[in-house]
Amino acid sequence: MRIAVSFKVTPDYEALRQVDWARVAAGGGAGGAEARAEATRYVRRVFNVFDEAALELALRLRDARAERGLETSLAAFSVAGREAEPFLATLQALGFVVARVDAEGDLDFAPAATAELVAACAQRLVGDVLLLGERAGPGDSGAVPFLVAEALGRPCLTRVTGIEPAEGERLRVTFTTDDGSARATVPAPCVLAVGNAVVSMLRVPTLRDRLAARTEQAAVLVASDFAGGGAAAHSGEPAMLTDLEIIDRSRAGVVVGGATAADKARALYEDHLRARLERL
Amino acid sequence: MSLSREAIVEGLQRIVGPEAVVTDEKVLVESSVDNFRKLQNIFDVHTLPVPAAVVLPADAAQVAGILTWANENGVNVIPKTGGTATEGGLESAVPDSVIIDGSAMNKVISVDPYNMQATAQCGVPLQALEDRVREHGLTTGHSPQSKPVAHMGGLVATRSIGQFSTLYGGIEDMVVGLEAVFPNGETCRIKNVPRRAAGPDIRHIVVGNEGALCFITEVTVKLFPYFPENNVFLGWTLKDMKTGFEVLRDVMVNGYKPSVARVYDPGDAGVHFSHFAEPDDCVLLFMAEGAATVAKATADGIQAIVDQHPECTQVPSKYIETWFNDLCWGPDKILAEDERIRQTRNVNRTTEISADWSTINDIYQTAKARILDEIPDITMMGGHSSHSYINGTNMYFNYFFNVVGVGPEAETEKYYLPIISIICEETLKRGGSIVHHHGMGKARAPWVKDEYGSSYYMLETLKKAFDPKGIMNKGTIFPI
Repeated sequence: MRIAVSFKVTPDYEALRQVDWARVAAGGGAGGAEARAEATRYVRRVFNVFDEAALELALRLRDARAERGLETSLAAFSVAGREAEPFLATLQALGFVVARVDAEGDLDFAPAATAELVAACAQRLVGDVLLLGERAGPGDSGAVPFLVAEALGRPCLTRVTGIEPAEGERLRVTFTTDDGSARATVPAPCVLAVGNAVVSMLRVPTLRDRLAARTEQAAVLVASDFAGGGAAAHSGEPAMLTDLEIIDRSRAGVVVGGATAADKARALYEDHLRARLERL
Repeated sequence: MSLSREAIVEGLQRIVGPEAVVTDEKVLVESSVDNFRKLQNIFDVHTLPVPAAVVLPADAAQVAGILTWANENGVNVIPKTGGTATEGGLESAVPDSVIIDGSAMNKVISVDPYNMQATAQCGVPLQALEDRVREHGLTTGHSPQSKPVAHMGGLVATRSIGQFSTLYGGIEDMVVGLEAVFPNGETCRIKNVPRRAAGPDIRHIVVGNEGALCFITEVTVKLFPYFPENNVFLGWTLKDMKTGFEVLRDVMVNGYKPSVARVYDPGDAGVHFSHFAEPDDCVLLFMAEGAATVAKATADGIQAIVDQHPECTQVPSKYIETWFNDLCWGPDKILAEDERIRQTRNVNRTTEISADWSTINDIYQTAKARILDEIPDITMMGGHSSHSYINGTNMYFNYFFNVVGVGPEAETEKYYLPIISIICEETLKRGGSIVHHHGMGKARAPWVKDEYGSSYYMLETLKKAFDPKGIMNKGTIFPI
């Protein structure tokens, strides 16, 4: 079985301050790419959390198949610039064949163009099973897995949280539903979009693994290598980003102050609880 | 004959009242360890003796009562406040210990902007004190990574250091006066004066005692003016640590005091700076702070020094500023790290030492090479220098390994202690100190005599004098 995983490297949004988020929001619209890039340029990069889960699930599937004497090859690729290289090196050390596709342009909020490249790369890497995260980054539409599956002509299962080998070259897939979770047996080829999996963090290769993998270079492809070449970015999108707005998730509240915990508890009781308790 | 657990609880309840004595089993089990057994904590595996009780005294008088009673009855006590210790100093090494938790003593007693000092009880979180003094436009200057959760008593007891120490000093430079209670119940107050030469400086008996001599109940620390608007960030990449150490030395010897002065080796730089550093790059970084003219002069001086090293390539300061803004570890980051460890069984550990300029690079290179050669399953091995002095610097070894083939309870034996052993050996061979700022705890106590040499006599005599019955935190500093 040949498993390919498409992943994205994103800024570590947890490290952004409020003022940086405001700059990200100011980069709404297709023309705001430079503003968004500038706002996030100086934070470190991390795997997109859903893609990271997909990568670890792929490794666990390989291990589970190996226990059954079944062979599996793993490939991982990213539509990205050089910022993806440390991540590709990590994946090589874990046993993935790796590649990156230089998009030659901004593909943020351009799901159709992204999906076109992802699908083309998956076909080039000849993956029977394509795994990817169900979405990436704040404001992401989550459309890419569906568009990729459509381009590849494969069935797509979303909100995937677990993957195990089944009979033959089939897979037993666990996925989230509105009521809980369910399982389905899925034949290859297929596209699996990974959601909120409990297994969400990638294992870590040893330094010896990294040294052993260092001789291999990641394949670097450019968008124009593929038919269509991603030229549809933004101009061919069915929907255009026009604005980004930070969702205010703060809740109305009062900070109860006091010099000590006892003072704060007294203030909480006197100012906020006593009257309510008396009314009960 | 030692007291039973029930008798211990009754004895404590008579002193502080039942509501201040905790005997909940879950609390007792969790209180038997500190971050030295991080992996065991995460997997809820507990192998150490369970304390008999956690007691929360309300004031120094109750601490004196507890210690007097414990001394009379031979009960081992473990002083604790924030619980962020990393070297096993808070572990209950013997059965039926009592944890004296000072976190209920959490008042900021005074903030004195005119005399530039603040007084806080031992259970005040450093972040809380820092927030209080910031209201006056001041700072404690003390910023260990544990700032959001560490408490003042523990910070003084472990002789802690903060990320801005090159400017503000370590805790030993910040403590003005303090109050501490000794095993015989004697409560001693060292008054707040700017300096004194009335015999030896007895603050240093208490600062760094790690609960092996006394219980710290109150501290007074210096305050400093706070000018964050003047912060200047500088950063470079370079290819070798030796050059990095040389630059740090030049900066210190020429009298500059940046608040942050660090050089990261490629392994450690890869953890933090892979978005601008190549895989084989070291990263050299500084922050200058203070009054505008001071910050500028410091930054200009450092720039001139580094400009003499063409092998250093400057990077936009925003990279360093962004890294700086994300430095401290609050409960959210700690929980996220716990989850990462739980899923991957990949553990991050650190060991910090100090040495003079002529030996630090040798210690770093040799220890690192030995660890890579002798220890299995290493996923990252590196480190950085982060606290420099005119006569040397520290080396903060930072390393990750996968725990393979053994349970969490065996992680320290298979990986952590062998690595600590290599670092301590290579440091001692070259005359360095095996502990720069984390404290000896119980983890490095086996090397205490090698660390002190002939001066061990002085340390041992302090222990015999103040804790003749050996009830204070058995196993910490002095191995059992």
